[in-house]
Amino acid sequence: MWVSCRRSHRRTRGHWSRERRETAICSLSLLFVCVLSACAFVLPAYLLLSLAGLNGLLVIHGLLRRGCIFGVLKLGLVQLSITLSLYLILYGVAHLAQGAIVVARIILATIPGWWLCITVPPERIGEVLSAFLPTKWAFVVAASLSLLPYMADEIREIYHIQCLRGARITPRALRNPRNWAELVYCVLFPVLIQLLKLSRQMAIAAQSRHFGLNQRPTHWHSPRDNND
Amino acid sequence: MTKKLPLSLQDSLFVGFCATLLVALTGMLRLKLGISGHSMFLMSFFYLICYGALGRFGSMTACGAIAGLVAMALGVGKGGPMILLKFVLPAIAMDLIALLLPLSMALHWRCVILGLAGCIAWAGKVALTNMLAGMELDVVLIQWGMSVLKGGFFATLGALLVPPVLTRLKAQDLLHRDKF
Amino acid sequence: MTLLALKGVSFNYGSQLPTVLQEVNLSIGSGQCHCVSGTTGSGKSSLLNLLAGVLNRPHEGEIWRNPKLVTGLVMQDPQIQLIRQTVGAEVAFALENLSIPTEQMLAKVQLALRRVGLYLRLDTPVSTLSLGQKYRLMIAAQLVCEPHLLLLDEPWAQLDDHSVSELLIVLRNLIQGGMALVLVEHNASAFADIIQHYWQLEAGKLSAGTYTVKDTPPVETPVRRSQFNHLGRVLVSAGAFDFGFDGSPVLFACPQGFQLRAGEIVTLVGDNGTGKTSLLKTIAGVLSLRQRLPFKVLGRRPKLGIYGAELGLLMQRPSRQLFETSVLAEMQFSLKRFGLPKERAAQMLDELQLADLAELSPHKLSYGQQHLIALASLACLCPKVLLLDDPLAGMDQYYHGKVWHLLQRLSSQGTAILLASHRHIEHRVVSRQLSLRNGLLVEDPMEMEARYVG
Repeated sequence: MWVSCRRSHRRTRGHWSRERRETAICSLSLLFVCVLSACAFVLPAYLLLSLAGLNGLLVIHGLLRRGCIFGVLKLGLVQLSITLSLYLILYGVAHLAQGAIVVARIILATIPGWWLCITVPPERIGEVLSAFLPTKWAFVVAASLSLLPYMADEIREIYHIQCLRGARITPRALRNPRNWAELVYCVLFPVLIQLLKLSRQMAIAAQSRHFGLNQRPTHWHSPRDNND
Repeated sequence: MTKKLPLSLQDSLFVGFCATLLVALTGMLRLKLGISGHSMFLMSFFYLICYGALGRFGSMTACGAIAGLVAMALGVGKGGPMILLKFVLPAIAMDLIALLLPLSMALHWRCVILGLAGCIAWAGKVALTNMLAGMELDVVLIQWGMSVLKGGFFATLGALLVPPVLTRLKAQDLLHRDKF
Repeated sequence: MTLLALKGVSFNYGSQLPTVLQEVNLSIGSGQCHCVSGTTGSGKSSLLNLLAGVLNRPHEGEIWRNPKLVTGLVMQDPQIQLIRQTVGAEVAFALENLSIPTEQMLAKVQLALRRVGLYLRLDTPVSTLSLGQKYRLMIAAQLVCEPHLLLLDEPWAQLDDHSVSELLIVLRNLIQGGMALVLVEHNASAFADIIQHYWQLEAGKLSAGTYTVKDTPPVETPVRRSQFNHLGRVLVSAGAFDFGFDGSPVLFACPQGFQLRAGEIVTLVGDNGTGKTSLLKTIAGVLSLRQRLPFKVLGRRPKLGIYGAELGLLMQRPSRQLFETSVLAEMQFSLKRFGLPKERAAQMLDELQLADLAELSPHKLSYGQQHLIALASLACLCPKVLLLDDPLAGMDQYYHGKVWHLLQRLSSQGTAILLASHRHIEHRVVSRQLSLRNGLLVEDPMEMEARYVG
C-alpha cells in the first residue's frame, strides 16, 4: 500500500507538471506572436522576405491543424485593393510596389495571431491572460467564458419564444429595417435583464464560496487519477 | 459620470457578460453580414449599456478590455493581440469623453457623442496600424475617413438604441440608480 | 450550541422598495433542520441570503453569529453556480479562495465528494452530470469548507423524485454529523423525514408552522364529462420514431407513436434529461433535426412560426419573455401581432382576478404571477395546440389553482394541451399520461371513467 501511495504521488506530480508545461508553452507562444507581429512593422523591407518565410511555416502548421485562413486572405485582398487603388490615384503606378509592401506588413502582423488561436486551446489563452489580471477580473473572464454556451442558449430560446409569440424578428421580417427595433426590445432587452439577474446570482454564489476573502488565492491542479 | 468607486463583483460580472456577448455577437454577425464597420454597432451599444447601467468611470474601459481578452481567447476576428486594441481603444476614448460631458446633457446626445468618439478611436486604431506599416499619410487619412463614415453610421445606430433600453430597465426597477 | 440568531431583523432592497422581511426572530442550533415555506416572492431566498451573510445591503435588528460559524449556501439553479469546467476544480474553488495550499486540496475535495455520494473522476466535465448530480456537486462545493450551517434554496422544485431520495440520504447523514440545515421549500412534505422545525414566511413575517393557501380558491369551471367519451379531432400526430440529436445516440424511442386530440389535457412525465423539453420544442418547430420525424401538427410538418396563433409553447422560466412596460401591454403584444381583439387581454385578467396587476411592470410581479401572466398571454390567443414545459415548477398551491382553471377552460374550448413535467401529475382534468422511462415514450394506462375530455 505504501509503494502504491508513492507511485500515485509521483504520477500526480508528473501530471501536475504537464499542465504547468502546457501553460508555459502557451505563454511563450503568446510572447512569440507579439514579437513576430511587432517585427512586421519594424523590420526593414529587405528582411520582410525572411519574415514571410517564417510566417509561411506558421501558415502550413495552422493549415495542418485544420485552421481556416480564409478570413486572413479576405482581409489581405480587401486591404490590397483599397490601398493599391488609392496609391494608384494619388501617386501613380510607380508607387504601387510601396503600397503592396504596406499591405504585406499588415498581413504579416496578422498571421501570427491567427496561428496562435488555432494551435493553443482558448482556455489556456484565457488562463495565461488572466494571470496578469487582478483576481476579481480573472474570475470574471473565466466565468464569462464558461457561461458563454449558457448565454448563447438563453438568447436562442428567448428568440424562439418571441418568434412563437408573433414578434417580427424572423430572418425574413428583419429585411425590413423597421423591425430591427423589435429585435432589440423583444430579444436584446430580455437578454440584458437575464444578464443583470445572472450577474447578481453569480456574485452571491461566488461570495458564498468565500471569493474575494484573500488577495492571493491558491490554485487547484487537477491530477488525472487513473485509479478511479 | 461621477462615481469613481471600484466596481463590485456583481457589476464586474455584468460588464464581463456584456463583453462576452459583444464578442460572440460580433463573431456571429461577421460570418453572416460581412459588412465592415458593423462591429461598431455592437460596441457602441454594449459599452453605452455598461455606462448607463453602472454609472461608474471605467466601466466602458473594463468592458472593452474584457471583450478584447475574450476575443483573443476565442479567436474572433483575425486573432492575436491586435484584437485587444480594437476593443479597448474605443472604450477608453468613450470613458475619457464621458468625463467631459455634463450629466445635464440629454442622454440621447451623450450616447451619440460617445458613440462617435468610440468610432473615431476605432478608426484611429486602423490608421495607427497603417502608419506603422509605412503607409503614406494622405492614404492613411483617406482610409481613416472611410472607416469613420462606415463605423459612424453603425455607432450612431447602436447609440440611439441605448436610451430607450435604459429607460425601460429603470422603469422596471432593474437598475437601482437615481440618474444616468 | 446556538450557531446563529436573528432578533427583530427587518430588511429591504432599497428605501423606496417594499419591506422584504419584518421583525424576523429565528435561532438555529447544531444538528437542527429548519424548513421555511411561503408563497413565491415572500422573501424566503432573501432570508437565506441574509443567513449566509452575502447580502450587501444594511438591515435593522440584530444578527448574532457564532464566531466560528461557517455557512454554506446552495442556491436553486445549479447552472449559475457552476464556475469551473471539471468536478475537482468546481469543488476546489472555495479552497482556492481560502488560500488553502494546493497540496492539501486533493484530500479535502475527495472527502467532500464522498460525503455527497459522488464517486467520480476529478476531471469529469461538469456538463456531463445530471441535474441531481450537479446539485450534490454544489453541496460538495460547500462541504469542502466544513460548514456548520448549510442553507438550501428550494431543492425539490428542480429535482426529480430519484434525485430527491438521493439528496435526502445525504442530508440525513449531514444532520447526524451535527450540521445544521435550513431548507427553503414549498413542498416541505418531501423532506418531512428530516425536518424538525417548520416556519412560514408571510408578508415578511416569520411564524411557526407550514404555509398553506388561505385565499379563496379561484373560480372552478364545472367538469363536463361526455357520456359517450367523444374525442375531438386529431391535432398532433406522430408515427413510430426514434428521437435523438444530430450526431448523438438515440435518446428515446416511441414505438407506437402518439396523438393529441382537441380538448385533451395530456401529461408527459419523465425524469430530468430524458428529452421532454426537446420533444416539445420539436413539435413546436423550434428544434429542427436533420432526421425527418413523422410528426404532423395541425396537418403540417413542424416549422418555427408557421402556426401563428394556433400553436402556443410555454418554455421553462417563462419570465424570460417579459419585456413590455405593463402587464396589459405584455398580454396584448401577441394579440396585436396576430390581429386578434386586444380586449381579450383585459377580459383574461378579470377572469383570473388579476385586474389590479394590469398597469404594473411585469418585472415587479412575484414569480408565480409572472408565470401566470406568461401563460395567460398564450391563453388569450385561444390556440388549438398548447405545449407547456413544466408550468407548475416552483409555483405554490395558490397559483396551481389558477393554472388548472386556465387549462380547463382552454380544454373545454377544444385546445389540445400537452403538459411536460418531471413529476407525476394527478388531476381530474388530465385525460392521459405519456411517460418517458428507460428510453421509451409510452402511454400509461388510465381507467376509462377517469378520462376527461373538454
